[in-house]
Amino acid sequence: MKSTKYSEKVLDHFRNPRNVGTLEGDDVASGSVGNPTCGDIMEVFIKVKDDKIVDAKFRTFGCGSAIATSSMTTEMVIGMTLDEAMKVKREDVAGELDGLPPIKMHCSNLAADALHEAINSYRRMESGEVVEPECDDIVQTEHVVCKTEFENNGLYRTIGDPSVFDDQRTLVIYTGEASIKAAIKLTDHTDRVILLTCGKDIKMPDDLGMLLGNVGIKILYQSQLLEIRGDFEVERALIKNLDEDEEYELFIDAVVILG
Amino acid sequence: MNTSRPEIYLDYQSSKPVDPRVLDEMMPFFTEKFGNPSALHKVGDVATDALEESRKGIAEFINADDDEIVFTSGATESNNFALLGYMLKNKRKGNHVIISEVEHISILNIAKYLQMQGFNVTRVPVDRYGRVSIKKLERRITDQTILISIGYANNEIGTIQPIAETGKLAREKGIKFHTDAVAAEGLVDLDVKRDNIDLMSLSSNDIYGPKGLGVLYIRKGARPNPVIQGGGQESGLRSGTENMPAIIGMQAAARIMKKEMKSEVKRFGGWRDRIIKQILEEIPDSYLNGHPKERLASNAHIRFDGIEGESILLSFKDEGISVSTGSACSSKTLEPSHTLIATGLLHEEAHGSLQFTVGRFNEDSDIDRALEVVPKVVNRLRELSPIYKARK
Repeated sequence: MKSTKYSEKVLDHFRNPRNVGTLEGDDVASGSVGNPTCGDIMEVFIKVKDDKIVDAKFRTFGCGSAIATSSMTTEMVIGMTLDEAMKVKREDVAGELDGLPPIKMHCSNLAADALHEAINSYRRMESGEVVEPECDDIVQTEHVVCKTEFENNGLYRTIGDPSVFDDQRTLVIYTGEASIKAAIKLTDHTDRVILLTCGKDIKMPDDLGMLLGNVGIKILYQSQLLEIRGDFEVERALIKNLDEDEEYELFIDAVVILG
Repeated sequence: MNTSRPEIYLDYQSSKPVDPRVLDEMMPFFTEKFGNPSALHKVGDVATDALEESRKGIAEFINADDDEIVFTSGATESNNFALLGYMLKNKRKGNHVIISEVEHISILNIAKYLQMQGFNVTRVPVDRYGRVSIKKLERRITDQTILISIGYANNEIGTIQPIAETGKLAREKGIKFHTDAVAAEGLVDLDVKRDNIDLMSLSSNDIYGPKGLGVLYIRKGARPNPVIQGGGQESGLRSGTENMPAIIGMQAAARIMKKEMKSEVKRFGGWRDRIIKQILEEIPDSYLNGHPKERLASNAHIRFDGIEGESILLSFKDEGISVSTGSACSSKTLEPSHTLIATGLLHEEAHGSLQFTVGRFNEDSDIDRALEVVPKVVNRLRELSPIYKARK
């Protein structure tokens, strides 16, 4: 079956998605799932009153079936109790949509998982449980595997002559404010700068944050640099997505780890 | 959906219609001129003459000699034949072949097969525009290297490789040079002598000929082992009765292309530049994939932050426009395009790409219509996206 051969119901939810958006408030919880490899990221918001879902919204980055299943999931669960909603499975969502192409059953049908995560998050919130994973970028940089010949040959501990970064795909590891400033400075020399941190966000002064947002630096959150690879010089970075527990290679020309 | 409106086709890279003039020349070879070139009677002679005339026509198209052209069933076979056949034939001289990270899947997979058979394969990385650096290529050459295979131009992002420089380097080092020229056919002036090319894969459909036919150009002294065995047709290099109607079609297509390429490329380049300029200007956080200058005249490949390619493609489908994407979600494997990843894109970025390839039967109004649709589609999908944040 062709991967884009969708049922009319899927196409309808793709063309006219229900419940798009976000929710806010003390009685709102959200869950987010995503698979960077197949490229779907889904966010589901639920508003709960007396153990019942009174409203649900979603936002999805993904293919036709990812959008349709998110839309359908929100439509299905409004009015359900949390226990009932916990029982909604991916197959149920696919069934309501008159089926999905087999290849889409896994990757692009994660909305039920996002829903369950939202419910779990709501329950944790109710019981006052706080789950805050800790991470320390500086400690992690000490464990990066790399060849000694990369030093100053693609791997830089200081920004000496910035012209060596001209047009280079550069990965900057977040190690504090100095690394953000370095990343911003590098955008004068290359328009491909990626900032990597293991955190869910980066705390910094507002003006620096504004600047960072405006120069077009790509930020990789919840990520860890595991290894710098290349045959003769820096060519690839092995990165771990901590949220998804997945590793992937990114093609780059330079890495900056400020000491 | 409006079904009465004719479909606008902007995916010439994936398939092209046969030019009606080509089809006219092919027709008699299905019926009255049905002979087998191997047969010694009159009916066979008609086919033999037509076969050799066609061979000559293809040779002229790429500045080769007649006896350096071998007909195959298509570019996939030509690529398999070149790599597998050449490495097997010359394994006493060395066991190392260099390809690039952005080759067509038929090169990547036959290279994997060679690896399983004990050959060494190195993939040279590309820069952010998808271009092979000669310096990086040269560094990877060892005394075991006997073949370099770099595609003439990339079939996805349209980047043209430094072919003349690669040919020169290979010649100096005494290494044979194969190029898969399919994406460049009809868009770039192919000349195997000028560029020191030893083996070159071509496809008939890519110059508006019929599918199911390809060519492997084989320079004298770069002979591979045959891969398809049988009755010894094509000087023993490729057995099987010649697909005469398709061969006639390909030579007709090449002849027409030789005459019309210059004006066609100019027309395509105008459309391409308009598509790229207008989208990049109109849509925030959109980027060009591939090389800004060294790129095929027919190819505009754009990436949009925060949205996914299959959704874009489906939305265009609803508007009656056929386009292509580098997204995984529309592929069989769900892996994003290896070419986009090799240029340094993250997975989520590679997913948000849209490919327009224009061709012979497009009109100005097709481009107008597509450009009208782009902002509508992109804006709607971005509103749904949890990861798109507009820059202030």
